Amino acid sequence: MRFDKYFEPTTVEECCSILKEFGSDAKILAGGTDVVPRLKNKIWRPKAIVGISKLPDIDTIAVQKDHLVLGAGARLRKISLEKSLEKDYKVIMEAAGNVSSMQIRNVATIGGNACNASPSADAIQGLITMGAIAVITGPEGTREVAIEDFFTGPGTTVLNAGEFLLRFKVPAPKPGTGAIYKKFAIRGDTDISIVGVGCRLTLQKDGTIEEACISLAAVAPKPMRAIEAEKLLIGKKLTTELVEQVGEAAANSCSPITDQRATAEYRKEMIRVWTRHAVEEAEVRAKSKLNEN
Amino acid sequence: MERMEIKLTVNGRKHTLYVSPDRTLLEVLREELNLIGTKKGCDDSNCGVCTVLMDGLAVKSCTILIPQANGHSITTIEGLEREDSLHPLQQSFIDHFAVQCGFCTPGMILTAKAILDENPMATEEDIREGLHGNICRCIGYKKVVESIEAVRDGEYKESCGEV
Repeated sequence: MRFDKYFEPTTVEECCSILKEFGSDAKILAGGTDVVPRLKNKIWRPKAIVGISKLPDIDTIAVQKDHLVLGAGARLRKISLEKSLEKDYKVIMEAAGNVSSMQIRNVATIGGNACNASPSADAIQGLITMGAIAVITGPEGTREVAIEDFFTGPGTTVLNAGEFLLRFKVPAPKPGTGAIYKKFAIRGDTDISIVGVGCRLTLQKDGTIEEACISLAAVAPKPMRAIEAEKLLIGKKLTTELVEQVGEAAANSCSPITDQRATAEYRKEMIRVWTRHAVEEAEVRAKSKLNEN
Repeated sequence: MERMEIKLTVNGRKHTLYVSPDRTLLEVLREELNLIGTKKGCDDSNCGVCTVLMDGLAVKSCTILIPQANGHSITTIEGLEREDSLHPLQQSFIDHFAVQCGFCTPGMILTAKAILDENPMATEEDIREGLHGNICRCIGYKKVVESIEAVRDGEYKESCGEV
């Protein structure tokens, strides 16, 4: 492991000017749980490492009236244990709590999980399920990107040279909304997902599905939405047959690969099964929200 | 590469070091401070033998760059022992035969401390969930969990003082 310079900017402007100077020779360090192994294994050989932990409010977790703010440097374990998220943003806690071991979650960050852009990443599934918006800053100013458009492929994002992720904004859910993230892995959290399924449903008072979001992990080059499966749900009430169809549609929409964890065929089959579980459990949560109001 | 000033509090002692920022916390603990109780296993944050406490939270020191630890308080296995006795967790691991080769033990004990410090009433499930990041390849986990449960249940309070 070797790099020439280590920076710890204390303002966003300073960080931008360092990134501008070094361009692709600079790598951002948040928790370091993905960056440091890559430096050690010489997969990356950057000239400069830019630690962002001293940037103002970078680790914020703040529930506001109509949205939640998550700083890019918010630690996954802190998110997974944050009581103020329990009411409206439980799926974000669950997804963050599904990443690796306690030791890793204590340092790994939500922004790092996004910028690492692994198709199997768990923490970002909570953000996709809730329709989060990524706030990016750089030499051209600040811009906002919907989280599902943030990823461009395995390990790549929309971030241009000199840009970096500041925070996420997660809109508060409508009344009658329930969401869940289900991870399927052999050794539990510590393992990388074979598949993961996130689901958010918004119900009308009579139980008709008004909005649906289904997000799939580890079955495409990037995290993906199962749009066809979502369409099947809108305007209907959930029945056993409908759940079957939705699982089928989700399985048909994905394009998994075969690797050391599972074959492509097995992954498709597991998407069918876990989409069913996720949709059913999201509906249970949505119904209990309806009863609360 | 230019060295930088790093301030660390390790096991209650303050240190000011001048080290290259491309070193890990594990390397600095072992090579600069001679605290070799913290082990180096996979060196890739999978096995958990390098676990130390940073501000009370369990972390894997092999994947923490030393600037990330700057200004923080670190506890290693050497910091648990009392003047005239072992830490309850250490004594319990010995009494319950939770050690075979012993390589994973420092990491296991520090993770166990983090689990009990955060939740003194941790259930077996909580303990197993917390230990997910620590791998043992010889004795297994049953005796480790039993040792931690014994400390949780207060069996070592009298011999070793408060946990």
